[in-house]
Amino acid sequence: MSYYDIDSILTDAEKIPCTFQLDVPDLGYLDNTPTQTLKTGSRVALPLWLAEMLAIASSSGGLDEQGKSFVTFDLPPALGNDVVQALKADPRAVPLRDQSAHFYGLATHMMDLSEEQELATVLRKTYVTRATEIALHARKVGGVGHHGKSSADEGSNLGVGGAGEEFLRGLDERERRLFRKAHDGAKAGKEWMENVKKH
Amino acid sequence: MDIDDILREVDPTFHAIPQEKRDLQDLTRAWVAERCAPELLQWPANDLFERVNENIKRQIEKVEEMTGDMDPKTNFVLIVLQTELERFKYLVRSYLRARIAKIDRHTLHYLSTDDLRSRLSEMELAYATRHQALLHNHYLASFLSSFPPALQNLNDTAGNVTMIDAPDLDSAVFVRLLRDTAVEARDVDVDSSTGGQENAIYILRWSDAKPLVDAGSAELV
Amino acid sequence: MPMYGDLGNKLVQHAKRAQNLAQLPAYQTELVRAVTREVRDLDRDVASMLEPFQGSFDPAAEQATACTLLVNHLSMRRNKRCLLAYHRTRADKLEELVWSGSDVVDLAGQQQAGAAANSVPAAANDRQSSSLSPQEEDYVRQYGDLLAAYKGQWTDIDLTGSLDPPRDLFIDVRVLKDAGEIQTEYGAINLTKNSQFYVRQGDVERLIAQGYLQKLG
Repeated sequence: MSYYDIDSILTDAEKIPCTFQLDVPDLGYLDNTPTQTLKTGSRVALPLWLAEMLAIASSSGGLDEQGKSFVTFDLPPALGNDVVQALKADPRAVPLRDQSAHFYGLATHMMDLSEEQELATVLRKTYVTRATEIALHARKVGGVGHHGKSSADEGSNLGVGGAGEEFLRGLDERERRLFRKAHDGAKAGKEWMENVKKH
Repeated sequence: MDIDDILREVDPTFHAIPQEKRDLQDLTRAWVAERCAPELLQWPANDLFERVNENIKRQIEKVEEMTGDMDPKTNFVLIVLQTELERFKYLVRSYLRARIAKIDRHTLHYLSTDDLRSRLSEMELAYATRHQALLHNHYLASFLSSFPPALQNLNDTAGNVTMIDAPDLDSAVFVRLLRDTAVEARDVDVDSSTGGQENAIYILRWSDAKPLVDAGSAELV
Repeated sequence: MPMYGDLGNKLVQHAKRAQNLAQLPAYQTELVRAVTREVRDLDRDVASMLEPFQGSFDPAAEQATACTLLVNHLSMRRNKRCLLAYHRTRADKLEELVWSGSDVVDLAGQQQAGAAANSVPAAANDRQSSSLSPQEEDYVRQYGDLLAAYKGQWTDIDLTGSLDPPRDLFIDVRVLKDAGEIQTEYGAINLTKNSQFYVRQGDVERLIAQGYLQKLG
């Protein structure tokens, strides 16, 4: 997490559902009613950069445990039960990008905010399974897979064709970075091998 | 390398490795390590680069002297010399560029404590200080000067994200053990310790590998 | 309903796009101004909210005000981060161009023809010749001087030279644009368009980077 990192700044703009725990006259605009008081119990989707601090800052001033938070929050739909069940069934079949372009970034933030043991386990397995799949695709796209298609397809139910493209389209930003790195690495390795042969 | 060096090498009674050769080894090792480590390493303290620079200068002069003479035989020597020279120049260039890239990315971090500053060469320190000043001025001229004074700092560490970006010391590196030594590493769930043998190669977090490298028990590969 | 920080986010999206482009898109003058103004407005709001308390503000007693103050404070910090990241991303790109030896300010002028369509119409000021802000042009000049000074301490190395390990000392090149005469250790070579030469790589790297020569093989 770096201050100047564009992706982590964009991740911080991801919104999560929050519920206000007090009346705030001046914040009606957050709920599309700029002239009215924001009432206790109003549910508003707030970006992480705002939600996180409002959730941990207590209304008694400092960051102590006394007093209640300004807001409470729930898991965003991207990490909701439907998605988690689908990930449990087959991590490769879920286009994470449709849930959030910064899926893992968002998930990491949520883990920091609350203990979600089960979710953490599912996500870790998701990442590892998908990373393997990504590495496989990265080699294929570079045209540097194994000889013939058969061995490259082992352990994967996705071919080079439509399904593979669909999988790649569904990568979140972190996975895209991984894909680019794996791809560049495979390509550089291939070029190096060819150069060695030449000389 | 001149004839004395060669004689010294073939003479079994002469055990010392010539300085020039040792410098090339040191330079190569520093270059490999710098390109592998996620953070800036110590600038070599023993005037290595002064000697390397001198050496390059001498070789360039030699090449220039020989250039007039186009006798085919010396021409071949010339090409060998030039190849050697290009390799030397490449090592230094690549090494310096790897360092500048790290300094540019985390300038404030490397300027933040005396300990970190001491890793930079004098020239690098001057460059980093000036670069940071230029950036700060650029921000001020573009928007920052019209901010409330309390918000104009570039080095706030309060809040949930510190403004001083630091390198990720937990990224992975490859090391080769130079002697038998215990290798301790943190894992996701449990920490582990292995009795490592000389020449074994490990992949570790840099934060776990650094003590081994600093102690001379391992080198980055 | 727009909220504080939305404009800043737009700026960061511009930066994200710029990262993936070969050329630097037009500087978002209006957006930068708007986000900066937002910070000043928020600061004024904070000051006027605190004014009646005369320095004795008690967050526990005034919870709603404390909450609004926190939101305003976070919004200012968020905008600051967006502005810094936007300028930093562009500065990184500009530095890259300086390292590669391009005449950045000149280059910016040339590419404006294409970039003009993307720029905010309101940004059409008199000096509509560059995708760089005047401050960025200054920055490029100053950074160029800094790099030259640093390079000057390593004259024999050619610090901005190729980072590919030397493999072929001599290479075949084709001349793409007339580049005049260059001096090599083996005498002068006249680089006229479409001619081919077998030359020492170190002598022509610059010209390859600048697009005068093409490496063959």
